[in-house]
Amino acid sequence: MKKTVQYISLILIALLTFGCEKVVDVDLDTAPPKLVVDASIQWVKGTSGNEQKIKLTTTAPYYNNSVPVVSGATVFITNSANVVFNFIEIPNTGEYLCTDFQPVINETYTLTVIYNGQTFNATETLTAVPDIENNIEQNNEGGFTGDEIEIKFFYQDNGAEDNFYMIGIKTNYKPFPEYGVLEDRFFQGNQMFGLYSNEDLKPGDLVNIKLYGISQQYYNYMNVLLSVAGGGGGGPFQSPPATVRGNVVNQADENNFALGYFNLSEVDTVDYTIQ
Amino acid sequence: MILRKTSITFLILFICCFSSYAQEKFILSGIITDAKTNETLIGVNIYFPELKTGTNTNEYGFYSISLPKGDYTIQYNYVSYLPLEEKINLQQNTKKNIALTENAQQLDEVVIIENRKKADIRKPEMSVNKLTIAEIKKMPVILGETDILKSILQLPGVTNAGEGQSGFNVRGGAADQNLILLDEATIYNSSHLFGFFSVFNSDAIKDLKLYKGGIPARFGGRVASVLDIYQKDGNSKNFHVNGGIGLISSRLLAEGPIVKDKGSFLVAGRSSYAHLFLKLTDNKNSAYFYDLNTKLTYKFNENNNLFLSGYFGRDVFSLNESFKNTYGNSVLNLRWNHLFSDKLFSNMSFIYSDYYYGLTLDFVGFNWDSGIKNYNFKYDLKHYLSDKFKLAYGLNTVYYDFNPGTIEPNNSESGINPDQLDKKYAFEPSFYIETEQQLTKKFSVNYGLRYSMFYRLGSQEINTYANNQAVVWNNDLKIYEKATPTGTEKFGKNETMASFNNLEPRLAVAYTLDDNQSVKASYNRMAQYLHLISNTASPTPLDVWTPSDKFIKPQLLDQVAVGYFRNFSKDKYSLEVETFYKKVKNRIDYIDGADLIANNAIEQVVLNGRSRAYGLEVLLRKNTGKLSGWISYTLSRTEQQTPGRTPEEYGINYGNWYKSGYDKTHNLSVTGAYKLNEKWTFGSIFTLQTGQPVTFPDSYYVYQGIQIPNYGGRNESNLPTYHHLDVSATLTPRKNKNRKWQGEWVFSVYNIYNRMNSASISFRQNSDTGNNEAVRLSIFGAVPSVTYNFKF
Repeated sequence: MKKTVQYISLILIALLTFGCEKVVDVDLDTAPPKLVVDASIQWVKGTSGNEQKIKLTTTAPYYNNSVPVVSGATVFITNSANVVFNFIEIPNTGEYLCTDFQPVINETYTLTVIYNGQTFNATETLTAVPDIENNIEQNNEGGFTGDEIEIKFFYQDNGAEDNFYMIGIKTNYKPFPEYGVLEDRFFQGNQMFGLYSNEDLKPGDLVNIKLYGISQQYYNYMNVLLSVAGGGGGGPFQSPPATVRGNVVNQADENNFALGYFNLSEVDTVDYTIQ
Repeated sequence: MILRKTSITFLILFICCFSSYAQEKFILSGIITDAKTNETLIGVNIYFPELKTGTNTNEYGFYSISLPKGDYTIQYNYVSYLPLEEKINLQQNTKKNIALTENAQQLDEVVIIENRKKADIRKPEMSVNKLTIAEIKKMPVILGETDILKSILQLPGVTNAGEGQSGFNVRGGAADQNLILLDEATIYNSSHLFGFFSVFNSDAIKDLKLYKGGIPARFGGRVASVLDIYQKDGNSKNFHVNGGIGLISSRLLAEGPIVKDKGSFLVAGRSSYAHLFLKLTDNKNSAYFYDLNTKLTYKFNENNNLFLSGYFGRDVFSLNESFKNTYGNSVLNLRWNHLFSDKLFSNMSFIYSDYYYGLTLDFVGFNWDSGIKNYNFKYDLKHYLSDKFKLAYGLNTVYYDFNPGTIEPNNSESGINPDQLDKKYAFEPSFYIETEQQLTKKFSVNYGLRYSMFYRLGSQEINTYANNQAVVWNNDLKIYEKATPTGTEKFGKNETMASFNNLEPRLAVAYTLDDNQSVKASYNRMAQYLHLISNTASPTPLDVWTPSDKFIKPQLLDQVAVGYFRNFSKDKYSLEVETFYKKVKNRIDYIDGADLIANNAIEQVVLNGRSRAYGLEVLLRKNTGKLSGWISYTLSRTEQQTPGRTPEEYGINYGNWYKSGYDKTHNLSVTGAYKLNEKWTFGSIFTLQTGQPVTFPDSYYVYQGIQIPNYGGRNESNLPTYHHLDVSATLTPRKNKNRKWQGEWVFSVYNIYNRMNSASISFRQNSDTGNNEAVRLSIFGAVPSVTYNFKF
């Protein structure tokens, strides 16, 4: 449904873009840096899920081309039985690795990050995901304009519960991935689908599709995050953007919270080559 | 309760005392019409210089005044019409129907005493702008057509969210806080094509009045303004056709008598051409609108008139057969004017009005219908008790039927499950009494009281929540979340689910300093029971209306305004300066990430906040001469605040006041019309405004491979200053003279110096480099257009 809204905004924008877009210089203020916790635990189907990575960085001025990494932090996850999984930094990269993580569907985990004498915590549950079915469809007259390559993949929703999904698309021609979140409202228990089209898609392109099972709380978070990442800034059809708060909490000092999110998903992934 | 009783007693006292006082007088009354068409004229000034008193015609062209017997001069004045002066020896109750002649039809006259517009010094009415269609037609046109909404945007205190945006904002009010009436029927969406055109076909419109403050008690239900628009009745003397052919849209109007001098009809249609706004030459896409105005008028006798008006408009968008969107208003209205006596005018209206929104998304397999319907009965009486005392009273009842959404699969393969979002019903009765009274020669007052009630009715099953809170504060994450319902509560058909009532006092006073200047002040309280669920600066057609209920409280406005009004240099110029302050309670705001579309539990994403606005408005007009026009300037601030409900809660924007999306610190408009000769007339509008308040990022971060802008306080930055100059030239060929076919060419250029105004600035990752960038979207560069108008 959120997607529908996005489609509608797209239409509005399509109508307006007989005007023109131009990259402009806008003077911006810079806020003091804040810790960013990029902790997405992904248990890809068919793997053990033992190897996991967490990345720590800070915010940077908007026009900078990179963000500073955070080194020297203590990072670990505990499960409900208080088993501790330590994440060890590859020196000076801000990337913290774990090799003995034990993923269990519906298990609740707690992340702890200790940095600069401050302790940050987050708690989440590992959420299951259905398989991406084998019948991926390609339509060469897709998209809004009817002249884009469009691919459509299917998965079966579980009718017994409310489910939330995230779709991640990585292509060889775009320097960053694209995400979308979905809920099964209006589709409860039915076969659901994901659609991806882009005017730049051409035969031979490789499209990596990832389907994540996510919690409702993470769905809400990503929903806001993606609308903010999608180019806010107060257009007439834009809802006002704000700092997106995740689940990483500083118990001692509520103003010194961290950005980012601690999420655990079961993930199915498929590579598709455009025909 | 005590206040209520006192006020009513107070009013009754006045009525009694003035009825007895009025006995030795005679009544002069009648209807004022256009000499050529029999069209009744609204707001004609009738003045008696010997008595220094006067009156105006009402919305149906009727006037009535009680005067002591004697000999008087009567002056009839109406903008764009030739003035008329008559002598009368008033010895008994007298009916005087007058026909006035339009100025433009007397071009051969050597001396034209143009009837000038000027500030109304005496009337206890302020913050009101009147525009006749003749005035609007003098202004430059944009996209080839005279547009009522664009013309009111040139007035002080009126703005909109930006270029090509729908709706308008009055004194810092949101677009849904305007009561828009077309022949007394409520219009829910005022724009076609997302704001490029208004839904009002100016050919079919007679007159409009915009109330920004001091709103009389006969109006209610919205808190920011009333835009009161009247359609033409149709020519009851001769059959006429007029129309216009433009590059973007065309229109045609036919009017004529059904029974000569007694009954008339009017039909006006308008349509834009398909594919218009889409560059794509692909004929699978289209975007167009059409609308139809109709009116039947029948005069049974001197005392009884019947009017049947209708409006039907639709916008249609379709893209690649996969997306189809239709929306629009329909209105049907039957009115009966009845004169009980020379002093008592009445109007009874039965009104049906609806707004429909439909969407089909073929690729999702999804069909969505939504809308609002209302059934309205109104009975208004106006009592002309004496030359110094008028009384109006009446009742208004509205029954609402809201359909927030019917969702169904549009084909058998669709994965969509059908769903009906809960229909909502409500009933809004109200009563009012209003007086206009001249207390002394210098001091007059308009005061009134409206009592409005609102009942949310079943049948509906609604959620119940712990502590009656549908939105909960997650104190760990410091965010608002939807509350989980604890159960449901079922209401039967027409069972009251929630009810509200409000007493709305209104007051306006005018103190005349001398014949040419006055000061005025006003206060009004108003209640609004409907809310447009919209989280954007400019409403979109798919925003849904929702009634007040257990969780969403009625909006309550208090506004005060004071003003200074002056005509000078023999009415050549007029100056109106006003300042206002207003506050609105229970203005709803939305939690971050609120999903507003097809949400069956909207209470889970809204919080009740408040808003305030204050400002200074200056309007300087040049009323006469070859060059006429006005300068309007507004300095204002519009803010909103949604504090936390408990000390832990942050509220929206940390509970701080923030500028509304339509706040404009400075707003300047210069409008001019220049009549060079009989052949050429020129018009121009210059607009200069502070850019729209927006939120810019103060840093960014990387999460899951994407770059996220991080935002600080809401609406603390502004888009670049917005300005443009529009010009038009109208050519009336000389051969028009002495022939039936009258043609004219209108050439215009919108934004002649091609200013690239920012509609928005968005912050995103460049899809080739992956680096952050700021992107400005501009909608219009210079837009030339040409239209040929004709009538016969």
